[in-house]
Amino acid sequence: MAVIDARGLTKVFRQPDKKPGWAGSFKHVVSRTYQEKVAVDGIDLHIEPGEAVAYVGPNGAGKSTTVKLLCGILVPSAGEVRIDGLVPHEQRAAVARRIGVLFGQRTQLWWDLTVADSLATLREIYSVPETLYRSRLERFDEVLGLGDILPVTGRKLSLGQRVRADLAAALLHRPSVLYLDEPTIGLDVAVKERVRTFLRSLGDEGITVMLTSHDLQDIEDVCRRLVIIDAGRIIFDGDLAALKDEFAKDRVLRLETAGPIESAELAALLPTCEVTAGEHPRAVTVRFDRFTTAAGQIVSAVGTLAELTDFQVEEPSIEDVIRRVYAGELLAGAGADSDTAESDTAEPVTAGDVA
Amino acid sequence: MSTGTDISTDAPDPTGTGGGAFGSEDWAGANANANANVDGDSAGDPYGRGHSPLRILRLYFRFLGTHFRGAMEYRADFWIMMVAAVLTQAVSVVVLTAIFRLIPELKDWTFWPIVIMFGMVTLGEGVGSLCFEGMWRVAWLINQGELDYMLVRPYPVLLQVTSSEIGLNGLGNITTGAAMLVLGILHSSIHWTVATVVVGLILLVSGVTVKVAISLATNSASFWVASPSPLFAMAVHQAGELTRYPLTLFPSPLRVTLTVAVPFAFIGFFPTDFLTGSHALWIALVTPAVAGYCLLMAVLIFRRGMLRYESTGS
Amino acid sequence: MSALVAAPQTGAVTPVGLRARSRPYRAIARATLRSVLAFRLQFALSLLSVLFQLVAMLTVWHALLSARSIPGFTWPQMEAYLLVGFSSGTLVSTMSDFRVSYRIRTGQVALDLVKPVDYQSARLAETAGSLVTELASICFVWAVMLAFGLRIALPPTPYLALFAVSFALIALLKFSVIYLTGLLCFWTKNYVGLQWCRLAVTSVLSGAVVPLSLLPHWLGTTAQWLPFAGMSSTPGLILIGDATGWYAVRLVAVQLAWAIALWLIARLAWRGALRQLTIHGG
Repeated sequence: MAVIDARGLTKVFRQPDKKPGWAGSFKHVVSRTYQEKVAVDGIDLHIEPGEAVAYVGPNGAGKSTTVKLLCGILVPSAGEVRIDGLVPHEQRAAVARRIGVLFGQRTQLWWDLTVADSLATLREIYSVPETLYRSRLERFDEVLGLGDILPVTGRKLSLGQRVRADLAAALLHRPSVLYLDEPTIGLDVAVKERVRTFLRSLGDEGITVMLTSHDLQDIEDVCRRLVIIDAGRIIFDGDLAALKDEFAKDRVLRLETAGPIESAELAALLPTCEVTAGEHPRAVTVRFDRFTTAAGQIVSAVGTLAELTDFQVEEPSIEDVIRRVYAGELLAGAGADSDTAESDTAEPVTAGDVA
Repeated sequence: MSTGTDISTDAPDPTGTGGGAFGSEDWAGANANANANVDGDSAGDPYGRGHSPLRILRLYFRFLGTHFRGAMEYRADFWIMMVAAVLTQAVSVVVLTAIFRLIPELKDWTFWPIVIMFGMVTLGEGVGSLCFEGMWRVAWLINQGELDYMLVRPYPVLLQVTSSEIGLNGLGNITTGAAMLVLGILHSSIHWTVATVVVGLILLVSGVTVKVAISLATNSASFWVASPSPLFAMAVHQAGELTRYPLTLFPSPLRVTLTVAVPFAFIGFFPTDFLTGSHALWIALVTPAVAGYCLLMAVLIFRRGMLRYESTGS
Repeated sequence: MSALVAAPQTGAVTPVGLRARSRPYRAIARATLRSVLAFRLQFALSLLSVLFQLVAMLTVWHALLSARSIPGFTWPQMEAYLLVGFSSGTLVSTMSDFRVSYRIRTGQVALDLVKPVDYQSARLAETAGSLVTELASICFVWAVMLAFGLRIALPPTPYLALFAVSFALIALLKFSVIYLTGLLCFWTKNYVGLQWCRLAVTSVLSGAVVPLSLLPHWLGTTAQWLPFAGMSSTPGLILIGDATGWYAVRLVAVQLAWAIALWLIARLAWRGALRQLTIHGG
């Protein structure tokens, strides 16, 4: 049974139409007109326990709104959402015990308390038994290095320390679902790595992770499933690896040779590849579909024409793929029909499939 | 230990040899038990009364306590707040004394009964600051989006808000308020009977409740009017300061407002009137009713505000 | 044509001439005015707060004066005096307190420090910006009071001029006091408490609520020589004609002396505060 189950989830914001200036303010008091903004438009989302899902989209696409709807912070305008069978905004306490949240830009730790005090307070709120509490803190110390930051006051934490502490805070009560909204924003590389490793391990425990991030490395490292939202609608929902296999098939091989090499000659030898000349006569670039052609074939082909001195391989990047999805180039299902209201799961592998 | 993106979605590792966050915990078992114990009465419970009322109260004091400990770290700040509170009250007494050096009574009110009124108003404010200061942060919490985290915790949001800060000046105000009250009572010849004492205590508690309730209601205005500071609540608070002086001084429209619309008069004026003069029965009956009504309205307004926050997302 | 001169070594431009030098401060003042206007509601509500205090004082004094008469303070005189007190309370109040301390507490002061303007003067320029709205509301309230029957016997012209000078000095004095209190934020984190202390002390010693002559003798006489008297009592007394001749001149001289002294003290305190900031990181 899906632990996160959203059907036709919609959120419409009514914003008062306020014109600037004194006249505008006055008119606003007398007669109000409203503008409607559809932040989330009929989303269907089904996430199974233990999945790690990346929720991606351009700014203003509705990512944060969706997360808030799934937490119960916002009430849906239409549609329904259930977390573990419960309705968030109706059974707040019950859902609260099952979810952990981390908003990247804000901390849930108390400003004036030490991290230890904040966690102790949260422990009381979530009624975590003493022994479990201690063992969890120990565990967090092992994987996040929490011990060092326990005595530090909230306001004095560096960003990296703060995120680690917030992670501990979000997981202290062992929720079934963890929402992360831009968790690695502003972190240095070492801390990002540590956080990603930690998040990866959560799936083993059966903890569902839903991650929104602009850092595509986060997504590639942590998540297996990708959901792309744009203008309030889900335009892609499927397996990340399958997406890359489907749309990011191209590899690029940049070769340098001892003597000059003719790209036209090489092209003749490699009919399935796209061969272009490099910056100078001894360089050549080959773009190929990694499923139909092996890198080795290309190297051999080059070898027949000149001596290979150096080469560089460029892997397909999820960033390219997502960028192309935003640009409407690759839409799932028949044709690039970007008006599909329902979520698109016509991808090769749907979310529920486990290879 | 999981490697790379190869995330297994098999059953959790029960033997604990796997790595990860929770190691050897029997996740399914432990969580299920924890949830079952506290979820029992939470069905249809929108604001998280999953805990028992006693536990909620205990947690509330715990929250206040942690803030208090945090505040005590800054000795200088603590004393500044205390001095500020005492100084503010002292100033109002100086003004009152200066006035009464010139005249023996103000519209039938002599010096000491007015001191009693001062005391009650101050006491109400002190309790509000000490125990419920957090509500003055509603404007700020909304502005900074901090309410979101409160909404995902299994504890009533209103109580999370009010306990989110402790006002040390409250200690100063409670002390000075109590002092004014005691001195005022000692110097006013009140005829004490058991009934008077009981009613007096009820009136005192009611008065404090009215003050806290009005503050909560006016601070909830921040849900509708965005601003980083609670200006509406502060403005209304200033209006309330008028009721340190006998209500009979003010013109009718003002008297009616301060009695009916924002019942500040029930904090100090009517209770003092009862004790030092009229012993009017209606005061003894109406004041607690007003207190209850104000509290109910305040909580409802706050809830309505939360509903609005949830539909508009701040 | 820009009155700017390029420095030879760094290429940085130094403004030349008063008009050019004052440009950044005028810009700050304008920006503050715009932001104050943007927060119309906030301003209206903070004005309301001070108005309530005025109502309280008017009511109490009216009751008092109808019970007995006090030499030098007839009811019309008292009304005018209290109005001056109200005006003083409104000036330099629009979020100025909050702004000064907010910048220090949030570390924004570090940003301010790198701007090529004198910190103290920049803060003064800010208050000047909000003065426009404050003065507008003061005029409005005076107009309403006049419409409701307030009668002032204006003092003869020389005293009127003295009053104008004295009134103008209120803003400067208030600014310096607020600024100095704000500087204390560099040493303590807590601004609210300091503000309350300042408000308490000022409200009594400025005579805004009770004329200084009606306070206990020792308090009243001391208060005359403190800077706070210049914030309400001095202009008030001159307006209602209770301060005349050399007495009035002396009062204004004291006011002026304090205005200058506080400004200078603030500069010294600023250096101390900077030291505190750089040593302890604020």
